[in-house]
Amino acid sequence: MAYEAQFYPGATSVAENRRKHMSGKVEKLREISDDDLTIILGHRVPGTDYPSTHPPLAEMGEPECSIREMVEPTDGAKAGDRIRYVQFVDSMYNAPSTPYFRSYNAAINFRGVDPGTLSGRQVVEARERDMEELAKFQLETEMTCPALACLRGASVHGHSLRLQEDGVMFDMLERVRLENGTIIVQKDLVGRPIDKKVDLGKPMSDEEAAKRTTIYRVDNVPYREDKEVLEWVHRIFEQRTTYGYKPAVQE
Amino acid sequence: METSASDTKKPIQIEIFPKRMIKPDTVERLLNKICSLEGILRAFIQGPRLPTKVPFGPAVGTPVHHPLRTNVHFGETEMGLEILVGRITLELAEKEVMEEINVICEDTLPCGFDIREGRFIQTRQTVSDYAKRGPKADPALYGLYDPKSKVESQVNFLRTNEKE
Repeated sequence: MAYEAQFYPGATSVAENRRKHMSGKVEKLREISDDDLTIILGHRVPGTDYPSTHPPLAEMGEPECSIREMVEPTDGAKAGDRIRYVQFVDSMYNAPSTPYFRSYNAAINFRGVDPGTLSGRQVVEARERDMEELAKFQLETEMTCPALACLRGASVHGHSLRLQEDGVMFDMLERVRLENGTIIVQKDLVGRPIDKKVDLGKPMSDEEAAKRTTIYRVDNVPYREDKEVLEWVHRIFEQRTTYGYKPAVQE
Repeated sequence: METSASDTKKPIQIEIFPKRMIKPDTVERLLNKICSLEGILRAFIQGPRLPTKVPFGPAVGTPVHHPLRTNVHFGETEMGLEILVGRITLELAEKEVMEEINVICEDTLPCGFDIREGRFIQTRQTVSDYAKRGPKADPALYGLYDPKSKVESQVNFLRTNEKE
């Protein structure tokens, strides 16, 4: 029988959601068109070709290399796309994902991506079309609630603040706004107004966000209730300390 | 036996901490009701700043036009609100007003809130205050403004005595 990765221990809903995010088996909740995504990201004008930094690999004539023969280049690398970034910010108030789990999701399920994990934001650098594929996946699925997560290139500090009265994560540049019950994007990643407003759909209710979150919280699923996770975290820390990441020494 | 400020007739300080950041119209309603009470000596609002322009990044200098950065009215005083209000600190002449403040908060705030008693506004000059304002600074203004800024830009007097 083929080995099936388990990804994360634990029996709580949070642990289950963490497994979902890591494995990429997440529910698709909304549809965002390619043009809308391009507008939000603001790296190029919608409908235009991807600018490139080098000719397509097929035309370049690559040097003889066993690694190049073994590894299939991604679509972006094949076409010679520029490296561009996408950055997500997730609220600490039951946002569905967190920087760590966005990074796990990117690194496990996508090729040619360079995830960067920070306390309040998570950035992925990749060839432009590869980055867009990942951004679209994370934006369309249950990994993102439009009110509790946001695409932000600068000024991310709202993630750690209380939510606004209307339940939207604070943003001093007001890139998204709650209008008639749906979240409307009106500025791109860095705060430039965009020509067309993009509708990201309804935000999750408090109950749904609490159900889909990957964050342990005392007022939702407390970390210490997940005995299996605690046991494994203790085991890893103990072995790291005692055996310096060499569990084989233990035996 | 120790005596706290609430046991004596010294002013006490309380902090109203809502579970959500509150909108300007809610702030206006809340503070108007609170200001109508007798015994409120000083009020201090705090929250994240709402800039007029993008402060950094590739879009630096682009106007933000944040709808929550607006003018609010307290009685006849108009005040430009440059922050999204996250907490309100009040200095009270007596502890008895707290009950009324609690009722006002329950009526006005759309979310849960905590009210804590403690020391939230400084009562003595810091070195920076002293260097900026000198020894004759008004003690009522301690802690209500940033020493680097002008008092008028950060402090509003709602009730002023005409003789003064």
